[in-house]
Amino acid sequence: MNNEIMKRRTKYRFIVPVIAAVALLCMFLPFANVNADSGKVTLSMFDLAKAYLSKDDSFAGTLMTSYGGLGVIYVIPFVTLILAIVLPLAFHKKWAYQCDIILGAATVVDVLTIFGSIARMINKTGLVKNEYLVKNLSVGFWLMLVVLVALLAVTLKAIKATWLYILLTVLSVVWVMPILWVVLISFREEPGSYTTTFWPQGFTVANYVKLFTDRSIRDFPRWFGNTFIVAIFSCILSTFYVLSVSYVMSRMRFKMRKPFMNVALILGMFPGFMSMIAIYYILKAIGFTEGALKLVALVLVYSGGSGLGFYVAKGFFDTIPKTIDEAAAIDGATKWNIFTKITLPLSKPILVYTIMTAFIAPWVDFIFAKVICGAENKYYTVAIGLWSMLEKEYIYNYYTRFCAGAVCISIPIAILFLCTQKYYAEGLSGAVKG
Amino acid sequence: MAKEGAKKKRAKDFVTEYTVKNAFTKGDVFTKLSAIVMGLGNFKNAQIGKGILFLLGEIAYIYYMAAYGINALAKLPSLGTHLQEKVWNDSKGVFEYVPGDNSLLILLYGVVTVFVTVFFILLWRAALKSAYKAQYCKENNKHIMTFKEDVATLFDKNLHKTLLTLPMAGIVTFTVMPLVFMISMAFTNFDRDHQVPGNLFDWVGLANFGKVLNIHGEFGKTFWPILGWTVVWAVFATFLNYIFGMVVAIIINNKKVKGKAFWRFCFILSVAVPQFVSLLVVRTMLQDNGAVNTLLHELGILASGTTLPFFKSTIWARVTVIVVNLWVGIPYTILTTTGILQNIPADLYESAKVDGANAFVTFFKITLPYMLFVTAPTLITNFIGNINNFNVIYLLTGGTPATLSYYKGTAGKTDLLVTWLYKLTIDNKDYCYGAVIGIITFILSLVFSLVAYRRTSAYKNEEGFQ
Repeated sequence: MNNEIMKRRTKYRFIVPVIAAVALLCMFLPFANVNADSGKVTLSMFDLAKAYLSKDDSFAGTLMTSYGGLGVIYVIPFVTLILAIVLPLAFHKKWAYQCDIILGAATVVDVLTIFGSIARMINKTGLVKNEYLVKNLSVGFWLMLVVLVALLAVTLKAIKATWLYILLTVLSVVWVMPILWVVLISFREEPGSYTTTFWPQGFTVANYVKLFTDRSIRDFPRWFGNTFIVAIFSCILSTFYVLSVSYVMSRMRFKMRKPFMNVALILGMFPGFMSMIAIYYILKAIGFTEGALKLVALVLVYSGGSGLGFYVAKGFFDTIPKTIDEAAAIDGATKWNIFTKITLPLSKPILVYTIMTAFIAPWVDFIFAKVICGAENKYYTVAIGLWSMLEKEYIYNYYTRFCAGAVCISIPIAILFLCTQKYYAEGLSGAVKG
Repeated sequence: MAKEGAKKKRAKDFVTEYTVKNAFTKGDVFTKLSAIVMGLGNFKNAQIGKGILFLLGEIAYIYYMAAYGINALAKLPSLGTHLQEKVWNDSKGVFEYVPGDNSLLILLYGVVTVFVTVFFILLWRAALKSAYKAQYCKENNKHIMTFKEDVATLFDKNLHKTLLTLPMAGIVTFTVMPLVFMISMAFTNFDRDHQVPGNLFDWVGLANFGKVLNIHGEFGKTFWPILGWTVVWAVFATFLNYIFGMVVAIIINNKKVKGKAFWRFCFILSVAVPQFVSLLVVRTMLQDNGAVNTLLHELGILASGTTLPFFKSTIWARVTVIVVNLWVGIPYTILTTTGILQNIPADLYESAKVDGANAFVTFFKITLPYMLFVTAPTLITNFIGNINNFNVIYLLTGGTPATLSYYKGTAGKTDLLVTWLYKLTIDNKDYCYGAVIGIITFILSLVFSLVAYRRTSAYKNEEGFQ
């Protein structure tokens, strides 16, 4: 087996460097047409790199300044490609090829970035305009891209890695990007929701400090407290409701059982907040929509109908063998005893799952809280509070603080959620094993 | 046939001697009188505690009806007749408002009274049955349960009654009753021109349904396009998420891919972040001067001054929400399908490989049918969920781009029926139309899932992977 791998690598030992060398050669071919002081000139990558290194600023005057002086991107391909040639020749090891993959990918990204930067230079237009692709990019660029892709493919083959890694990397970036971006913005120094640069100009922790200390207009700590109280109480009630209903549906047999389950299914098909408006009026009629009672109202709203969500826990209870119940019943245990002393202790995963889901709900709910909370921001929950920071009158000053708040909320919720998933998966695998 | 038998058997399991009918036909005078004075039969047979409870229930109901109920029910058919009046107060020299009837409260109290009455009827039936049971036990020399024993059964044989009481109360108060209240609004003219307390509203029968469904009317011109978009959205959102999510899950499951936990984590992370956070962030990122356009400018892909109109044109906005929903939904699909994908019998794949099937053929001939077979119910739930997907649309576009071709500008081009319902009720106070939309959405979900479930079960019987 090991021998086979070595053979495969030997086969590619020279192919990989050769392709990298071809890519390097491409960098001396005409690359792009650029407006220079002396009219339009055709440049190769080599010219661009030379210009950067010798601080020659004759090409439209913007070459060096694009990307805030990151002209180094014109030099990077030379370094990466030379390394890509040398590494497999010098070290006939797996890591050398792995490095080649990374170097190859870096070169592709870099060339594409250059591609964009030149587009900005030429007549200040973007790529999408003016048939840019045909008019201003020369054969060198296209050839280089093709060769680079080939380099990646061959290197992957050399160590028998799959191209799926590249796909997964691209996808992961798309998925993680917005989340990283929130974190980035939460440390941004300059205010405002929209800035002219993607990367923040300065970094600070003031957003976090102000979020918790500047309580005059947008009182985040208070919202946090509100949500926490609501979450605790609705969690207790919901857990009790859900577990009761699921146990009864799983273990007891009575006349209304089937009808109840059918009705639960049908009720689930009404748009969730259609009843919300009515609930609001009912709560208003009994005076629960004023002041601190709003929080009580929220607890009632979150836990009230929660008994309908019994499916997961019922499915779990169904997996606990009935023989255990029967054995206990013979020993004189009542159903209540069985429920509390046998079923529940056996159901730890689903217990934790139910508790966590119920606890998370008030933190992430937006619709119900918005209807109940109204305009008085003293009794906002975190979700509504953060949302209100994005309203027109606040967004400029509070946008970075919104991001800071979002990070503060998301981290504990994310941890809880990931734990929940763990317990959920455990719950799915059944209660009593073997 | 077998099913029918099972059904009969199930019904038979709960057959009991103690029915209301028997109480009237076979009961003695005390049992029969229990229909008027609840608990009487129990008193006679020494079930004092139970009897007192029934009696208290009856007294409470009578008191409630006398104090509020009758009044509420009496006004229910008219929903109020006295309009709020402006009266000149001579001594103060100002106009004063004399409160009239409040149709909304009348409707609310009416609905509550109906529920209280239904509950009372159930209690009344229970009282009759209980009275007859006591009599029956006595006649047949069976043991008559004492109050203490009755309470004890609540923790044993009748545990379901104990455990279900509170959850049921919650469900009835916070789900069923509000729904009935809201549904009854669909049959009134409680719109922006009939706001309480200044105005009264009235029953109008099915007129609202007619208005909404009439394709030539002002409302129909909004309703049908929105319904169309809702269905298109639900189809795309459900199936694209399903297929792409499964493809990603398959890629991660691929034998050659190492670091499965890491890749999975990258995707799951976006599920773990509260949806309102991620959606609001994506919304700001996709604005004209948001992060995505800024980045495209910086990379030189877009000319400065031009922007990608993510939420500006109808087509762009609709595609954008579907694509962003992919971002939201694919991780969920990965979460739910990974385990099932690993359960697909490996020999199916091996024989396909032997037959020379490539990845596409294997996916469409083996993976997809198998997954559809196993996850059809989830898929149906997802579809219903997407018809009612409020969060994504409301937080992302808020229904924009706005258009005047829709009813009084209440909806935009990406609005679903649910978000339109929200805007109609919360923003525009057209409650009756909102209720109609809600009912129609419900019917849509119900019909769809009934049809789908039937088809999946037919499918199940035809061929199986098991």
